[in-house]
Amino acid sequence: MPKVRPTAWFLVAAGVCWLVLLLSTLSQGQPIPGLPANWPRWVLLLAQGGFAAAVFMYARFQPEPLAGQNFVGLLRRLFLRGLGLTLGLGALVGVEKLTSQHTLSLPGNTTTAVVYTIALALFMVFLAQTLYTWRSLVNFRGGAKLRNEWTVFEVLLGLTLLLQLFTWHIPDGVRLGSGIALGLFGIYLSGHQRWIAYLTLAEKWQAILLQLGVLGFTVFFLLYLRGAQTDPVLLVPATQSSFLAFNSFFATFYAMAGLLITLFNLPVAKVFEERRAEIMSLQQLSQIIQRGQSVPEIYKILFSSAIQTGKADAAALLPPPASESASGLLAPLQHQLTATDFAALSSVLVPPPGSSYLPEIVESDLSRSPRFGTLLPNYSSIVVMPLHNKVHNYGTLVLLSHEPYNFDSEVLSILHAFTAQTVLSFENLQLAQEALNNQRTQDELRIAALVQERLIPRQLPTDDWFEVATYAQAAKEVGGDFYDFLHLPGQKLAVLIGDVSGKGVTAAFHTAQMKGIFHALMQANPLAKKERDRYPDPHRFMVQANEALTHCLERSSFITAAFYLIDYQAGGFSFARAGHCHTLYYHSIQEEVSYFRTEGLGLGIIRNAGYEKHVKTQFWDYNPGDVMVIYTDGIVEARDGEGNEYGEERLRQMLEQCFYQTAAEINEEIRHDVQEFSRGQPLHDDQTLLVIKFKAAQPHA
Amino acid sequence: MKVTTHPTADTLTLVLDGELDASSAVVLDAELNKPEIVNYKKVLIDCQRLSYISSAGLGVFISHLQRLQDSDVKLVFFNMQEKVFNVFEILGLDSLMNIVPTQAEAQAA
Repeated sequence: MPKVRPTAWFLVAAGVCWLVLLLSTLSQGQPIPGLPANWPRWVLLLAQGGFAAAVFMYARFQPEPLAGQNFVGLLRRLFLRGLGLTLGLGALVGVEKLTSQHTLSLPGNTTTAVVYTIALALFMVFLAQTLYTWRSLVNFRGGAKLRNEWTVFEVLLGLTLLLQLFTWHIPDGVRLGSGIALGLFGIYLSGHQRWIAYLTLAEKWQAILLQLGVLGFTVFFLLYLRGAQTDPVLLVPATQSSFLAFNSFFATFYAMAGLLITLFNLPVAKVFEERRAEIMSLQQLSQIIQRGQSVPEIYKILFSSAIQTGKADAAALLPPPASESASGLLAPLQHQLTATDFAALSSVLVPPPGSSYLPEIVESDLSRSPRFGTLLPNYSSIVVMPLHNKVHNYGTLVLLSHEPYNFDSEVLSILHAFTAQTVLSFENLQLAQEALNNQRTQDELRIAALVQERLIPRQLPTDDWFEVATYAQAAKEVGGDFYDFLHLPGQKLAVLIGDVSGKGVTAAFHTAQMKGIFHALMQANPLAKKERDRYPDPHRFMVQANEALTHCLERSSFITAAFYLIDYQAGGFSFARAGHCHTLYYHSIQEEVSYFRTEGLGLGIIRNAGYEKHVKTQFWDYNPGDVMVIYTDGIVEARDGEGNEYGEERLRQMLEQCFYQTAAEINEEIRHDVQEFSRGQPLHDDQTLLVIKFKAAQPHA
Repeated sequence: MKVTTHPTADTLTLVLDGELDASSAVVLDAELNKPEIVNYKKVLIDCQRLSYISSAGLGVFISHLQRLQDSDVKLVFFNMQEKVFNVFEILGLDSLMNIVPTQAEAQAA
């Protein structure tokens, strides 16, 4: 079963009501076999009211007939419908006239009654169409308040349908007063004719004619009804006269008001149209930018709009000097300009000394101009308008006219608006481009961060003789801290930690370099005669790393690093510190926490063989339960809200409290304490923390 | 960060006041970059009011160290707060740079 639209039920109701109306009208006249005579008056009024309500509701819930600002289309639609209905009425009257020549025109004539009933229905349909066409026009550019007022108006009109139904006595004064009030309400609503301002001159003429047509139809219907109701041939029943009267009044008054306003608007329509064209050009300019159009296109639009608005006979758009890289205009734009005139213009229009652009020039009588003299004999007035902001020069607009005093102050103000909008458009384009570049940089930083993350060892070394736990946090997208582990044959572990001075991408780049140096230097040397020479000792590692960095680190950059070579077989480790933070150590035998305070110069500070003397290898024998805490200065230099640093001492105390825990737990405790300390402060340096705990070896399973 | 210069015949004293971080390092770098600096015999850095030095600040001294040495200009730091001295010490710069306790010792150095 196809779905019936709810509004279709209004049509069904209208049909039923109309049938009842027809039958009850017929019952008033000559007896018709099978039809009870003289139906009560209220049935007729109810049927009329029901029909009217159904037709109006149907029209009310139709989709909005006004498409955009096509007011003439809306009026034409109403006109055509009105024309159809009026022609229908005309045909009916014709038929009635014809039949009445053959039959006796007795009171209660059936044909007259049928025609009258149909005519009444047609009129109501016409009024409904008119009312809801006016609704679209009244509410055009109106607010919610106006829409509410309109709804109240509809309700009041609806109430007049009920008025006739009841026989209760209403004092004449009240009746008259409320009638006048409703009429005034209609007049007030008729004042809302904003749509007229949006018509072009041609459209205004069309609107006037179409509204005249609508008025004509209304008058035609009213004349017929008035005639019919006084026709002795028709035994006329009561009508919903107030409803019809108010509707007709409003329909007519709104059309009249619109007509008059349009009429009075005609003389100024041309001015309006010019202003509209200017606004449209400005809108076009701004829309071009929003669509992300190119610089040449903006120039073209400015040029054509300026010529049109200024009614220029010839024009040129001169490009800015070649030094202006922001411009996209390479060759001048010309309009109706001879080569001679263009050459003359170019010779005169040069910026004054000390300025990069021309001043604005307006000459209204060129024959008497000292500047142009006889250079431009064909023209009488000229405007020269530079396009520039504080930073950039975007070119110069030149308009010429044969007429003296062609460029009046209004034209100039519009041209100013054009040029300002154009400059704004160029600025916007540049901003958009910059935003795009920024976005690209952000994206690249994100990629750099991802790449750097991959440089951090994924898998921590594991063995049964030690535990390792790590924590690293970069202050920016990419950081300057690094660390790495490498398992060497024979239960040895190489550990490197470091910090590149500076921040950001440069620092991040050097961390990658250090990782490369680490892995390159820790390759087994096949020529080594002794086992312990197979891998560089910490001192040699630092010297070689320093040499490798000599040529690729900027002079003001340096790298701090600490390198540990842990040997399980020997139960000890050797290490070297190159300017890096001191290692914190828990000695399980002495039950004591202290720093290894060794000497050692950062990498990249001395870039010659002299560095060798500034770094040393130290040795240490460890015991099971010993804990080594290795970190970067982001940890000890973390600040609280008052600017105090976390410091070596607090770190030492932390290890005193938690040395007995696992490496992961110690790492977590310290990290938590640092975060508590600097809560609410931005991370101003990268933080890295490694905890290594030595264990008594488990027998291999 | 404020940098004030006190030139005498053969000595240039730079007084540092505040935190020497990445942004103020530029100011100091410009000061040390001046060509006439090699005409002095000594450049003294008064660190009494230097409350913090970042790696960028250290980088400025490191980058000029070689040039000054090559031109026979002595770079001497004095009146350094312990916290700042710690930073120099950890990086190993105390073995490379002349850091003395007082101005008198700096003048004599």
